[in-house]
Amino acid sequence: MKAKTKETVVAWWMVFPALFVISVIAFFPLFKTFYDSFFEFGLNPNFPRKFVGFKNYVELFVHDPRFIAALKNTIFFTVVSVALETVLGLLIAIIVHQPFKFRGAVRAAMLIPWAIPTAISSQMWKWMFNDQSGIVTKILERLGVIEPGFPILGSPDTAMWAIIAVDVWKTTPFMALLILAGLQLIPEELYEAARIDGANVWQRFTKITLPMLSSTIAVALIFRTLDALRVFDVVFIMTRGSVNTETLAVYNRVLLMDRAFTGAWFGYGSALSVIIFALISIFAIIYIKSLRLKLD
Amino acid sequence: MRKYLLVVLLVVLAVFSFAQKRVTITMTAGAVGKELEVLYAQLDRFMKANPDIKVSVMPMPNSSTERHDLYVTYLAAGEKEPTVLMLDVIWPAEFAPYLEDLTNDKAYFELDKFLPGTVKSATVNGRIVAIPWFTDAGLLYYRKDLLEKYGFKNPPKTWDELVRMAKTITAKEKNMYGFVWQGARYEGLVCDFMEYLISFGGDVLDEAGNVVINSPAAVRALQFMVDLIYKENVSPRAVTTYMEEEARRVFQNGQAVFMRNWPYAWALLNDPKESKVAGKVGVAPLPAGPAGRSAATLGGWMLGINKNATPEEKEAAKKLIKFLTSYDEQLYKAINAGQNPTREAVYKDPQLKKAAPFMVELYGVFINAEPRPRTAKYSELSDVMQKYIHAALTQQMTAQKAIEEMAKELRRVLGK
Repeated sequence: MKAKTKETVVAWWMVFPALFVISVIAFFPLFKTFYDSFFEFGLNPNFPRKFVGFKNYVELFVHDPRFIAALKNTIFFTVVSVALETVLGLLIAIIVHQPFKFRGAVRAAMLIPWAIPTAISSQMWKWMFNDQSGIVTKILERLGVIEPGFPILGSPDTAMWAIIAVDVWKTTPFMALLILAGLQLIPEELYEAARIDGANVWQRFTKITLPMLSSTIAVALIFRTLDALRVFDVVFIMTRGSVNTETLAVYNRVLLMDRAFTGAWFGYGSALSVIIFALISIFAIIYIKSLRLKLD
Repeated sequence: MRKYLLVVLLVVLAVFSFAQKRVTITMTAGAVGKELEVLYAQLDRFMKANPDIKVSVMPMPNSSTERHDLYVTYLAAGEKEPTVLMLDVIWPAEFAPYLEDLTNDKAYFELDKFLPGTVKSATVNGRIVAIPWFTDAGLLYYRKDLLEKYGFKNPPKTWDELVRMAKTITAKEKNMYGFVWQGARYEGLVCDFMEYLISFGGDVLDEAGNVVINSPAAVRALQFMVDLIYKENVSPRAVTTYMEEEARRVFQNGQAVFMRNWPYAWALLNDPKESKVAGKVGVAPLPAGPAGRSAATLGGWMLGINKNATPEEKEAAKKLIKFLTSYDEQLYKAINAGQNPTREAVYKDPQLKKAAPFMVELYGVFINAEPRPRTAKYSELSDVMQKYIHAALTQQMTAQKAIEEMAKELRRVLGK
């Protein structure tokens, strides 16, 4: 008994550094943001701290159409891009799972879009969407889809889709990689047995592959959804949030950086950060519950 | 006794050498065109003349928005670096609480010899918080060769004339736009809009700071910008995504008759290695609107001192700023980096006339440039304006509705 307590004490001391680091770098900022969201203040000394309770949250949901628009844009972006990435990722994973010549090279090449920093690839795509010299614009012009000189990133009906296209291009490889790892865990014998029982390709896919992949897909979905909900760089670089593409993170930047000194917006921005945090948590919980994912 | 004296001597020496110690200060700097190269040359001269001061440069992103983000981070954290801050003309009011008060140093910096407009934009509530370094104003660039070819002797004097000329020329030339400008949703859009607004007889705020944007003149000005794109077909639809560099690239590839841009474009447009229109470009004041006047938005940068710096660092910073804004250094910067002086006398210098003749010829434009609305809440005001102007330009709202909504939101933001 005594030995056990001693062991526990030693164990606590051994985890202590990690716990300390986590609380300093993760929990402290989180609680600080949460705490700040109940105040009205700016970083400029002319806008001192004033406790306002839940006023910031009420303002956001009731009186701020820009927030509501950003919320809609964020959810639209997340749902569409993650859905496309999952389907395409699954497809690509199944293809590169088959044995063929140069498979290794293809798998490696596939990852390139994901390996390029988003800030750089977004700028690259922005040039490709340029009205004068952009290759995407030129191709669509030739195909007669758009009229010459049409600004893809400057039109409310196309800009969001352009951004989604870039995000899909960039992160599908990540999805494919995760799902490929899951595919490799499925024992080959299962397929053989199914084949002997006379199951066709579609039955093998729905009865074996999908169920066996569900937890892998769940993890991939969580990763991607959480990323997509706080999307910033692609949107900021390509359109700065104009023409109905402003997402929550882009709006938050305006509140926390542009307006840090010019008004009492810092608490308001903190409230928005908390909402992004809450939104992400909700999505995570939904996934974990619905896919019965065991995290331990 | 002797030992005792030796100790005293050593202490005195130590104190003396401490006093002689070099002060190190940092300054932020941009790197547009040849800006940074020119600054390094200037700093070498300064450090040679002041061996007790060492200046290190913190290069900043070119985008004004990103610089703003960095300054917010440094200043909010109470950092004493950077010592000298390069400030956009629209920032002094916002950053004033963090900047050293230079009101009593007016004579030291010879501010009475500077362009009054630039000094005014460095003054917040009667306090001078920064020293103007170089100035900027919106200009109209035009294709001299094309205007001549179609029988136009002079660049357009009014906006209507510009539309007419542009239409005549683009009807006959292949692959040619009439007029390119900055229509993306960012600070530059506010600069462009102000020029139409004022030349049409409107304004954003009155002297007392009340919102007066909701006027027929403002609606007409915004409607004119929309018409340039959709009714007159003089500007491409894509101007709604253009910033300075996008417009410049179209113009220097020979694909536009007119362009609105800042003075920096001159040297680049006339560089035969880079530009297809080198030697064929003219510069003029922007056209006048129905109100009978032309307006150019005032741009430019100034130098302020971080309040958190130590007294020695502040002294060194003042010396540095005095040096950089002196007659000789402004002339050097104007000739080598193409950035307009803020001292009146430099414009009369024959050397400048030779290197950048338009700076001298268009002196009137620079001295009469219109400041953007002066308020400590400028970033908020600009953000709101950008949103509604851009909504009108992308046809998500009519000009009338955009101006009404803009006025409403500006009143809410400014509390007036």
